[in-house]
Amino acid sequence: MKQGPSSEDDCFSLLKQFEHVLESDPLIDEVGFIHPSQFTMLDKEAGFSNEFQPNNGTSSKFWNQDHKLGISTDILVQLCKDAKHVFLLALQEYKSHGNACDESQIKNISCSPCIPESDVMKHSQSVLLLSSDFGTAWNARKLILSKKDHLSAFTEELRLSGLILSNSPKSESTWSHRRWIIKMISQSFSTLQEIITKESELVESIGERSKMNYRAWYHRCWLVSYMTIEQVIQELNKSKRWAGLHVADSSCFHYRRRLMLKILESLYVKGSSAYDKTEARKIWKEELDWNEELVERYVGREV
Amino acid sequence: MADKLVAGKHLRYILNLMAEKKKESFESVVMDHLRMNGAYWGLTTLALLDKLGSVSEDEVVSWVMTCQHESGGFAGNTGHDPHVLYTLSAVQILALFDKLNILDVEKVSNYIAGLQNEDGSFSGDIWGEVDTRFSYIAICCLSILKCLDKINVKKAVDYIVSCKNLDGGFGCSPGAESHAGQIFCCVGALAITGNLHRVDKDLLGWWLCERQDYESGGLNGRPEKLPDVCYSWWVLSSLIMIDRVHWIEKAKLVKFILDSQDMDNGGISDRPSYTVDIFHTYFGVAGLSLLEYPGVKTIDPAYALPVHVINRILFTK
Repeated sequence: MKQGPSSEDDCFSLLKQFEHVLESDPLIDEVGFIHPSQFTMLDKEAGFSNEFQPNNGTSSKFWNQDHKLGISTDILVQLCKDAKHVFLLALQEYKSHGNACDESQIKNISCSPCIPESDVMKHSQSVLLLSSDFGTAWNARKLILSKKDHLSAFTEELRLSGLILSNSPKSESTWSHRRWIIKMISQSFSTLQEIITKESELVESIGERSKMNYRAWYHRCWLVSYMTIEQVIQELNKSKRWAGLHVADSSCFHYRRRLMLKILESLYVKGSSAYDKTEARKIWKEELDWNEELVERYVGREV
Repeated sequence: MADKLVAGKHLRYILNLMAEKKKESFESVVMDHLRMNGAYWGLTTLALLDKLGSVSEDEVVSWVMTCQHESGGFAGNTGHDPHVLYTLSAVQILALFDKLNILDVEKVSNYIAGLQNEDGSFSGDIWGEVDTRFSYIAICCLSILKCLDKINVKKAVDYIVSCKNLDGGFGCSPGAESHAGQIFCCVGALAITGNLHRVDKDLLGWWLCERQDYESGGLNGRPEKLPDVCYSWWVLSSLIMIDRVHWIEKAKLVKFILDSQDMDNGGISDRPSYTVDIFHTYFGVAGLSLLEYPGVKTIDPAYALPVHVINRILFTK
């Protein structure tokens, strides 16, 4: 951000504090909005007493321990307004000067890490943590990322969107962004299978906290088209226990249906053997027997 | 327990929200990227209560136009990125005020037509996410602008039909779980293009009427979910389009919507005793319109605009 008169600095001091907390703990894996009265309780749970509180004012607005970040609901409105304002300014700056940076990179002229670009990334991160469905911010990141060719940039994006999902598990824009990242990875890198497995585990853990989350389970179904048959069978076995404990979760059973259909699809592919067909039949029979068991055990949940 | 629609309170609630310039509440700050949708919900509710004259038409229309992007699409707010979601709302708002003539129809329709994919589906914007909601939006919007011939309607319809599930419902893409919101979009698109014969009306009607909760009378969006006022629109309009609305208990649903009003401050929430918002206020009033509640103007179940507005569009030019 440009240095301005001190009144301007004061105006964005909240945002600066927020971004400083984010920079000083790059391993934050969970974010939430909490009422300031809960800060003391959280401190107690973390084993801190009042005397050890740093007196810089940050403690009453942001709570950060064990890589968890709590943002006080008292400052949310102002912080969100500031973050949006600063982000949109940075985006404007990037769009008008961004081309100059691209050119110097092409000509191999060394230029310090493009300030406009890093500002857009920094401020879009802030705004999305507070307002996860702000599509323009996700688009700005896509625009910048589509010019990158190192895998780490994309895996870092998966980390950020995972963090945002910890607070907003139903955010459609966030799930959509993840799909875009995975598509980009699949086009340029070969580490897809491991990423797919981790994605699936992420959905299961979110599904535990946010029941029948349509967006999350739709995402998991979408992943199936990128899975190998071995992965599909693994998924079917791994998710069976969870499904048995959540028989009222129709999204979960819809997912199993998707997996089963994928197995059938594979039989229509050239080169599938009689063994494959027998395996498939065995899997289908097992599933039906197990479904029957569940229907008998949990009367009223047949749907 | 409420026994009537407190229209006057809802009017005040909406006008206050639209006039909120400083944006002090968290909800309005976090929602400001979809202000165009919010404006459509608020204004259509006013139109259904015959109070559209309470807002400044010039102010609204000029703000809507500041949200148009050079690509022809509209954004959720000034300076944001365009998306079909906001483009439809913008066109619907202009239709409410009978101001479609100020649009460069070629530009807007090209933006939308350009988002159709090879398989007939539609992306929401240049970043490529596909969803049957976007199919509905494209078809609804181009129909209002009378430019349906700019897209491949047959492929669009075939893609939607490929999203039909075994339970008769529709999801956001082929094989996705049936969801009342997605069903509304698919059925609405098929209705507008004259393809309702591709729906298994009895099967779907059964799935839809099962959404009604016996206790509260409210409707949910999928099995095992809680009832929510917004499904009074999505489930109900779908049932009306496939001519199966007599399969639900209307009186109980009316009661559920009325009980979800904030009788003091106006506005409607997702279910009784929860916080109100503009989204549920619109769907509650729209639902009451479909249930022929007295004092509420008739709404078209496919276009989600008052019938007199749609008639004006269809019977001119």
